[in-house]
Amino acid sequence: MPNLKPMQPVVPQLIPAGLLRHLTVDDVKPSSNNPRHLFDPDELEDLKKNIAEHGVLVPITVYQAKGQSKFSILDGERRYRCVRDLAKEGRAGKDGQPLKLPANVVEPPSKIAGLLYMFSIHNYREDWELMPTALSLKFVMDDLETEDNRALAKLTGLSDTQIERCKKLLKFPERFQELSLDPNPKTRIPSNFWIEALPVLDLAMETSQTIKELGRDRATDKLVEKYRDKKIKSVIHFRRIMESYDISEDDPPTRAKVLRRVEEFFLKPNLETRDAFDEFVVDKKRVLNALTACEGFLTELQRFRLTYTSSDEERQSLRKALKQVQAYCESLEHALEGRDDPEVQQD
Amino acid sequence: MMGIIHSFRAALRFKGYKPKPLTWLAAKRWVMQFDKKDRKLAEHLLDSVIYISESRTREILIDQNAALMRRLLNAGLKPKQLIYVQVHDAGSSSPVMLNLLRDAAGLERMGCRFVDAHDSMRLIKTMNEVGEGALIYVDDFLGTGNQFCAERDFVATTIIGTFSEFVLAPSICEEAIYEISKRGVEAFTGHVHSKAERPLHANSSLFDNEEKERLELVCKGINKNGALGYKGLATMVVLYRNAPNTIPAVLRGSLNQTPFKGIFPRTTDLPIQKVV
Repeated sequence: MPNLKPMQPVVPQLIPAGLLRHLTVDDVKPSSNNPRHLFDPDELEDLKKNIAEHGVLVPITVYQAKGQSKFSILDGERRYRCVRDLAKEGRAGKDGQPLKLPANVVEPPSKIAGLLYMFSIHNYREDWELMPTALSLKFVMDDLETEDNRALAKLTGLSDTQIERCKKLLKFPERFQELSLDPNPKTRIPSNFWIEALPVLDLAMETSQTIKELGRDRATDKLVEKYRDKKIKSVIHFRRIMESYDISEDDPPTRAKVLRRVEEFFLKPNLETRDAFDEFVVDKKRVLNALTACEGFLTELQRFRLTYTSSDEERQSLRKALKQVQAYCESLEHALEGRDDPEVQQD
Repeated sequence: MMGIIHSFRAALRFKGYKPKPLTWLAAKRWVMQFDKKDRKLAEHLLDSVIYISESRTREILIDQNAALMRRLLNAGLKPKQLIYVQVHDAGSSSPVMLNLLRDAAGLERMGCRFVDAHDSMRLIKTMNEVGEGALIYVDDFLGTGNQFCAERDFVATTIIGTFSEFVLAPSICEEAIYEISKRGVEAFTGHVHSKAERPLHANSSLFDNEEKERLELVCKGINKNGALGYKGLATMVVLYRNAPNTIPAVLRGSLNQTPFKGIFPRTTDLPIQKVV
């Protein structure tokens, strides 16, 4: 019978902080957040060639979590990846030894610093679920006793929009937040569901006595049930409800009809979003008009063949105007984010 | 006569296998299912099984955990900074191992924390409370490591604070060791299951090629797609409460144990008992 040989990793040495060490790739633990989509492959390839020729010139920054034998990266994931790939290709250092990474070993980050690092990763990872970020933001808000968007944006590096979205998620009770933390992507409720559902819930609570009596949590449950039963085929469809409400502003009979439909939508489990609200939304024509406007604007602008102007004043005016256009386009493009395809997982 | 002695020995060695207790008669019947020329080979295959009994499981978990706790204590982490994480659903092996360890080592009394990896909200809150510490995943066996890594990678997206990560398990395959170490998770285990220990694995020389082919053919007759177990791992570790799905089909037997009766059927391989 084969012997059972116990295996325990080697006990790590205690490393004083601020020390420059030369580590092999095996000494380093890749980022827990595994940000494999963060890096432009072309840039990474250039860096790899450079490192193959000259070695790593700028030390990476690492820390050693208590008890861990490997070093975790705080800064320098790209350099680490290049050296790791080179090592895999069988490249050795000039001395024939395994390739080394110069590394500044620093103290493990504090909890807040760790959270800020997590935010910086989430800034890149748009495909990540927002709920963990939102909960982390709550810890930061509680610790620092501030809810001010500007202060939080400055501290966390998150954009104003991201902070707003996180705050919307935090408005939901914990039992709903947990639905977005489900490890199974098939049963997980995407964070975008809550963000898109929030104005609809606010509207229903404000305008329908029946929904008010039902209570906010029960009303939210109804929406979740509808989503699970595919009666809300895409979270983007919540926007049709709000659009129906907004465009009926100057038409009281239609507005009243929309509000009745909103109530029905909550109360009738089988009423599908598009079936309920498409009649109020005239989006097709507006989208076509917007498309024509985009094409016309571009054609007109290109016709001027403007690449320079000798007048500083004119240049400044034009740049200001272009920036206004750019800002509006960006905000519109951002508002249109997401897909209307029910098969595509949102968020 | 030798066959009977072998069967008795098998029944003694594999005492306490839970899904279907093994008697000497069952061991004998198992061997008799093979062609006469393959029976000796089947006995040799059975000799290569690495059985981890309940007492041995408890012993390994306690020993490895004590070593890990010593190391963490030396690094400045107290028991209340240790979060033990079960990585699979209730009823599966991970929570059973964690409960076994918790009770045997008195972890609760020491102030250690316990969280289900699926309960992300609790995990996030616990990590926020602790701030700095260690996440200790507990399981019984890691084969390819894929399932564990998928669970751990999800946990990683919610890590708040500074945490070192460890996995504690009675036995881990060398393939899984590679996968988990790529993630910087360190293994504390009683046994690293190498490919060389698995007679039917391509990288093992315990059986010659002709012997391997003969037994593999029998395996294919039982389960065409999973002849050598999940991903062809052909592992030989059997745990007292269930055999992993990575063992060769001859050891598990056919689904519902018909026509080929296994010697270590998994709970899911056994026919469903009718409730009267």
